[in-house]
Amino acid sequence: MRKRLMFMLVLLTVLLAACSGDDENKIQFWTPLTGDDGAYMDKLVEEYNATEPEIEVNHVITSDMYTKMYTVLNSGNGIPDLSIIHADRIASFVEQGLLEPMTDIMEAQPNLNADNYIPQAWTAGEVDGTQYTIPLDIHGSAMYYNEDLMKKYGVEHWLDDDVVTFDEMLSLQGQLEEGDYVLNDALIGWVVLAQLQNLGGDIQEDGKPVIDTPEMREAFQAIKDLSDAGIMTPYGEDGYLMFQSGNVMFSTDGTWSSTGHAQVEDLNFGVTNIYSFEPSIFHNRSSAHLFAMLTKEERTDEKEAGIADFLEFIRENSIEWAEAGQIVASVDVIESPEYENYMQSFFTSNQAEEESLYIYTYEHYPYVAEAIDTYVGDLIHGEIDMDEGFADMQRFVEDKVDEGALDMENTELLDEDELEEELSDE
Amino acid sequence: MLKKLKISKYLAYLFLVIVSAIWTIPVIFGIVTSFRSQTEVVSEGFRLLPVNWIVENYVAILENTSTAPILQWLWNSVFIATLHTLLVVVVISVTAYGYSRMKFKGRDLLFFTLLGISFFPNVVNLIPSYKIIDILGWVNTPWAMIIPGLAGMGNIFLVRQFMKGIPMDLDESARVDGAGDFTIFSKIILPLIKPVLIVCALFSFTGSWNDFLWPVIVYTDVNKMPVTAGLLLLQDVYGNYRMIGQLMGSAILAIIPTLLLFFFAQKHFIKGINLNSGIKG
Amino acid sequence: MKEQSKFAPLFFVGPHIILFLVFILIPSIYGIYASFTKWNLVGNPEWVGLDNYKTILTNSDSTFYSQFFNGMQNTFIFVGLSVPLMIVIPLLIAVAMEHKEVKFTSLFQTLIYIPGLVSISAAALIWSLIFNAQLGVVNNLFGSEVVWSTTQPYAWLIIIIITIWAGIGGNMIIYRAGINGVSKDLYEAAEIDGAGPIRKFFNVTLPAIKFPLIYTMVMTTAGAFNVFAQPLMMTEGGPRQSTTVLMMYIRDLAFSHGESIAGMASAMAVLLGIVILIISAIQYYIMNRNATT
Repeated sequence: MRKRLMFMLVLLTVLLAACSGDDENKIQFWTPLTGDDGAYMDKLVEEYNATEPEIEVNHVITSDMYTKMYTVLNSGNGIPDLSIIHADRIASFVEQGLLEPMTDIMEAQPNLNADNYIPQAWTAGEVDGTQYTIPLDIHGSAMYYNEDLMKKYGVEHWLDDDVVTFDEMLSLQGQLEEGDYVLNDALIGWVVLAQLQNLGGDIQEDGKPVIDTPEMREAFQAIKDLSDAGIMTPYGEDGYLMFQSGNVMFSTDGTWSSTGHAQVEDLNFGVTNIYSFEPSIFHNRSSAHLFAMLTKEERTDEKEAGIADFLEFIRENSIEWAEAGQIVASVDVIESPEYENYMQSFFTSNQAEEESLYIYTYEHYPYVAEAIDTYVGDLIHGEIDMDEGFADMQRFVEDKVDEGALDMENTELLDEDELEEELSDE
Repeated sequence: MLKKLKISKYLAYLFLVIVSAIWTIPVIFGIVTSFRSQTEVVSEGFRLLPVNWIVENYVAILENTSTAPILQWLWNSVFIATLHTLLVVVVISVTAYGYSRMKFKGRDLLFFTLLGISFFPNVVNLIPSYKIIDILGWVNTPWAMIIPGLAGMGNIFLVRQFMKGIPMDLDESARVDGAGDFTIFSKIILPLIKPVLIVCALFSFTGSWNDFLWPVIVYTDVNKMPVTAGLLLLQDVYGNYRMIGQLMGSAILAIIPTLLLFFFAQKHFIKGINLNSGIKG
Repeated sequence: MKEQSKFAPLFFVGPHIILFLVFILIPSIYGIYASFTKWNLVGNPEWVGLDNYKTILTNSDSTFYSQFFNGMQNTFIFVGLSVPLMIVIPLLIAVAMEHKEVKFTSLFQTLIYIPGLVSISAAALIWSLIFNAQLGVVNNLFGSEVVWSTTQPYAWLIIIIITIWAGIGGNMIIYRAGINGVSKDLYEAAEIDGAGPIRKFFNVTLPAIKFPLIYTMVMTTAGAFNVFAQPLMMTEGGPRQSTTVLMMYIRDLAFSHGESIAGMASAMAVLLGIVILIISAIQYYIMNRNATT
């Protein structure tokens, strides 16, 4: 018995030892692309590797990429050569010194330049005049409409100017059949931020985060009015599924959802802009997947050349990525005739549409977004009083910024008394 | 007397049937949902039987071998969980013996200190834990999943509690007969705690199987991942369930090995050995 | 008589102590150290002494103060609601299965154990479909219009339901293993004395499984204090953050989208750890004292 156990252990050890592979000579490429997105990216990487490049790319999908990045950055080992990170992380990552500029990459492949990408996607990676990322896509809020429901209520003309307004939606108040709704509250935090842009507001003032502004209050109030009018799906209901089951006219979710909605038979749907106050001013709050290089000492020149090759390949061939429902950032791709077959080409169909894609690049945007997401449901559905909610959100962001701040900014946090003490010491 | 037994029998049955039904219906619903299309899930809502049975969800799960090699994941998990469980049983039985039946200075204080420390929630501990695994060279190897869990206190606490239920007279009479600790441990105590060791083995296996936070951090190679962490890769980044049926299907596939183990194990802990023999009411 | 050798204990508990040092103690000490710092998980922690604790415990204007106390309160509600049920229900099941004439116990046992094997995300999806007001069965059955996940007390109810559904299997098995070890003679002796099922339960069963009972009580409680997946998945902490438990705040501080606030998160985790320690010590002390008398 004991011998058998020992034998098994030895055998297992041998098996385990045989498991370790050598991926040292590949470009380690991390992405947070789970689900189908990962499969599309895998295909692109496979195609690239099939061109027999000098250094192959190894695509690693992780479901908790940012936590994993923190752990490897902290231990200094196993840092990926290339990764995809979201636009709203860039400012903070650069501030923390976690990203390397793309300067050398851009020199190696001159086509990797601002002219060849959608402007917002490109500038999302620019901090203080230095380019830290090369964009893959823009993805963001989109509003899906149910064609049959629009016909049923005779409101197809709302789409004539490509913008559904608050007033138009409110006109259906009291007209709906039991169980039907005009809109859901999916991804509502992003809708709030789109309205903030429509109203000309901002989330910062002189570099300090602000939430309690007249524009932000108006944005929340306007959406609350929709909920109060009874045309929005009730609080806590799964608006995404209700849109798929055909009870909701407009679903404000994301560009990537088109593939999911397409799986539902008999759901006739199309895509348009997030609703707005007036047809002439509209925004779709967006994010972007950006290629970036985490700070790493031993990234060789050969690898950098390989990365540049790979990014150039993606720039030319990322039509595949349109399958994932995202707005591809490469101008070559979106100008190709094939791209028009994809629903999201709507968002790059003209100048005004392209300009409607708004990406927040403010350093503390993540905290602002977190505050909004935490409170938005309770606020628009009337669970919390507006004044109370806004005070809490403002405090939430300020406290987090104070605590999250790095060395440089910590000095600002000292009380005046302490500051005086420090000065007198000198 | 007999009548009383009858009534209590029916009461017991009634209770068990009701509880089992409540516990089982959601599982059946989950299984059935794995055979339904997305269209049907969103239009029909809760139904115990699908209108159209489809196997496409399972086909899709098994076909995707590049980003989600689920059979490979299942094998990885079986390997990791089995080896982990074998080692756990050895470590906890030996250690619990030390903490319950041996005499040394500060024994209980030491035990409760370790137990107390293990109660502290793990949050940022992730970072130093990873560093340690990195130093040991275990990143991307099964050891990162197999070894750290052996340090846990929970199972030792359980086995220790059961061992405390065994009368000390047994050890003492054995000592009189000249038996040492190793003999007492292997000949007397070990057979008596077999049921609880099997329970612990089951828990360790299930625990190792279901862990998903840690493997996501220590594995980068998709082909080496255990299944529970792997399944997270099937989900959408934004948490939207594009494919409810597929999610259910993969979850169902993932419970099969643990379920088989349970069938095997339950015979043993039911036919438990009389381990409280010395306790008189 | 052979005496215990001096080094024997070292052999029995030593190997585990080494494992414990490396994989639990060192990381835990680092976690405690981090609670006295300002840290973003990446750079070097910056020592701030007791500042984090001061903010959390005394600065009532701070978000972290309100998060801590709200989270702690909700955690206590969860513990108070779930732990008694997590003990009593499996105990009743185990006792019912022990009835002499009850058959199919393996079947019942398996059916009740299975939910614990289902992954938490699939389980949450199953239950949210069941409780979905439009598609679900619960509202159709009871004809209520309430959206459970955003209305109290239903929000707590669904969290507790999924917790118990997935969580009682383990305790059930421990009780089964414990009760199985009880000598049948004891029951027969009690029967001869004319004891009914209830008296047999209190006089024979309960004392016989006191040690496993202490174990399940302490571990279930400690586990409940660490809860976060169930509220996160069923209610996202709402409505009005009334189901946001402390671990959710802690995890958000450490691992959410913005720069990590890991020092503050660690301080909250340490405070939670101290609470867990005190509660389990009290439980152990009370139950163990009752058990030995």
